[in-house]
Amino acid sequence: MAVLSASFRRDLEIRRYPSLVYGLVPLVALVLQAWLPRVLGRFAWFDLPLVVTVYFALGRRSPIQGTFMGASMGLFEDALSNHAIGVNGIAKTVAGFLAASVGVRIDVDNFTVRLLFIFLLSILASVLYVFVTRFLLGMELEWSWLNELFKAIGNSIIAILTFPLLDRLQIRD
Amino acid sequence: MESFFVRYRNLVVLLAVLLAQMMGLAVQVRRMGDGRTTLDPGDGPGVRLIRLWANALVSPAEEAIHSSKLGVGGLWQNYIDLRHVREQNQDLQKTIDRLQLEQAALLEDARQGQRLQGLISFQEKYIYKTVAAQAFGSSGSDLSRVFYIDKGSNGGLGRDMAVITPDGIVGKIRDVFPRSAQVLAINDPTSGAGVILETTRIRGILRGNAAGQLQIVGILADNRIQPGEKVLTAGGDQIFPRGMPVGVVEKVVRDPERDGFIFIMVKPAAHLDRLDEVLVVTSTEPRFSPEEQQDIATSEALKGTEAAAIRDQQIREQQAMEQQKASQIMAEHLPGLIDPNLPQDQQPLHDSSNPNIVTNPPRALHPDRFTPGTATGPTGTDSASQQQETPKAAPDKEHPSQAPSSAKPNTKPAAKAASPAHGNAGQAGTPPDPPRRNP
Repeated sequence: MAVLSASFRRDLEIRRYPSLVYGLVPLVALVLQAWLPRVLGRFAWFDLPLVVTVYFALGRRSPIQGTFMGASMGLFEDALSNHAIGVNGIAKTVAGFLAASVGVRIDVDNFTVRLLFIFLLSILASVLYVFVTRFLLGMELEWSWLNELFKAIGNSIIAILTFPLLDRLQIRD
Repeated sequence: MESFFVRYRNLVVLLAVLLAQMMGLAVQVRRMGDGRTTLDPGDGPGVRLIRLWANALVSPAEEAIHSSKLGVGGLWQNYIDLRHVREQNQDLQKTIDRLQLEQAALLEDARQGQRLQGLISFQEKYIYKTVAAQAFGSSGSDLSRVFYIDKGSNGGLGRDMAVITPDGIVGKIRDVFPRSAQVLAINDPTSGAGVILETTRIRGILRGNAAGQLQIVGILADNRIQPGEKVLTAGGDQIFPRGMPVGVVEKVVRDPERDGFIFIMVKPAAHLDRLDEVLVVTSTEPRFSPEEQQDIATSEALKGTEAAAIRDQQIREQQAMEQQKASQIMAEHLPGLIDPNLPQDQQPLHDSSNPNIVTNPPRALHPDRFTPGTATGPTGTDSASQQQETPKAAPDKEHPSQAPSSAKPNTKPAAKAASPAHGNAGQAGTPPDPPRRNP
């Protein structure tokens, strides 16, 4: 009975978007993530692909979809860099999975919860990035925790601005 | 079993995706000899394909955004009357950029000449073939300081080509796509360039740190290194042209991990954060103007004349040395010729006024078997000695027609007769050799 209730609640709260949104929003995030640092220089403290991954994972509430969304965004990010392809992929895969899994269980429509959630997932993605690079691959990595903290704060601010805009794109019955 | 996968399908999918990515990572890294792990510099076909797809997906949109930004800005800036002024300014800026490049090259050549480090060849000038490109994108990560330019393999670009601006070096091409290329900036931690400090001539390796700052690593502590000193490319890395400006020393920091070593923090000469137009060095072959080529030809011709004069001088000196050596040998064999009362340079052996000095015989116009030095006939020496040395030749006198083929002539006496020592001996009272028979 408890399972049925949870499933029922999840089905009710699943958000649906036009197909074009699933294709365009991640693409725009990737393009902006690649282009904006050229304009902002070293003040580009954000990770738009992560924000988009978390948003869709929370909205869809499907861990499998969150997993694939995170994996594809991370792999694309890696492909645009000079690093090994898969490091960001793993970090964002886990982030997408967790976002969707938690989204099933708690009310993520709350503004503060969303903010805190994106902040924690940003930190987690950074930790995973360091873990995979240093411990799984055994490679040297120049690292600044302050930058990652700023990035997590930046992601939270961007989430505040973009989540309401993206909410408008969902299909309403 | 089926219920297990259904029940835990989310976790199974997560683990499968993670495992696939880990396997993908495993094929991209390799272990070095010293135990460290590093990313394979040459992407495999699969990895390159993924990078190509990502680039093909993102780059056109980025380029469009960048072009539209430039287009709108350009329309505003080139408005009506300002258009010609703008064009002139651009031309002048290009001229300044070119002159700065030439100035850097000439300055370094002059310094090298002052230090007498050797001749400067024209091939070491810094006038290289370059292709101008527009920077339009980045990796999007502050851990990966790469950016993209709008020229690729179609424009003649290749891997490991240097990317510079008139202000200084920028990076090198890491990956090339048909219409774009990925440039690894010099402030990336994985980047490296050989550099040299301008005045102290200390060499080091330039690389970036996590904060995107430039630093020269592996330098022993040296009090002579002061902030403000210019840093130039050393040219040993086969990528960056020698003598290009890199930046100036900002400060010197002690290496916390190694005693006696320091980091030199460098302020980059190029604006790495705000790159727009860059130059890609496509060929290190020097490119000269017609006037310069004419100067080179003149220089080469002069160099040839001087070389010929030096060669003649050397030949003369060698002949004199040989003559002196022959005299010494003769003096050793005939010590009676040495007058102890006379100084060395007035000995009879060195008397060049002797008119009877025997020189090498003139070469025969039509040599035959009797000609000295030929191996097919008698050599003109006395027959007695010849018979003693070659007794087998005696019966051939009855068959003179067979003599040249059966007897082995001895050419030694002829060689002795031709030597100047023999000539001098004859002049000093010894009976001279019989006259040479010329046909």
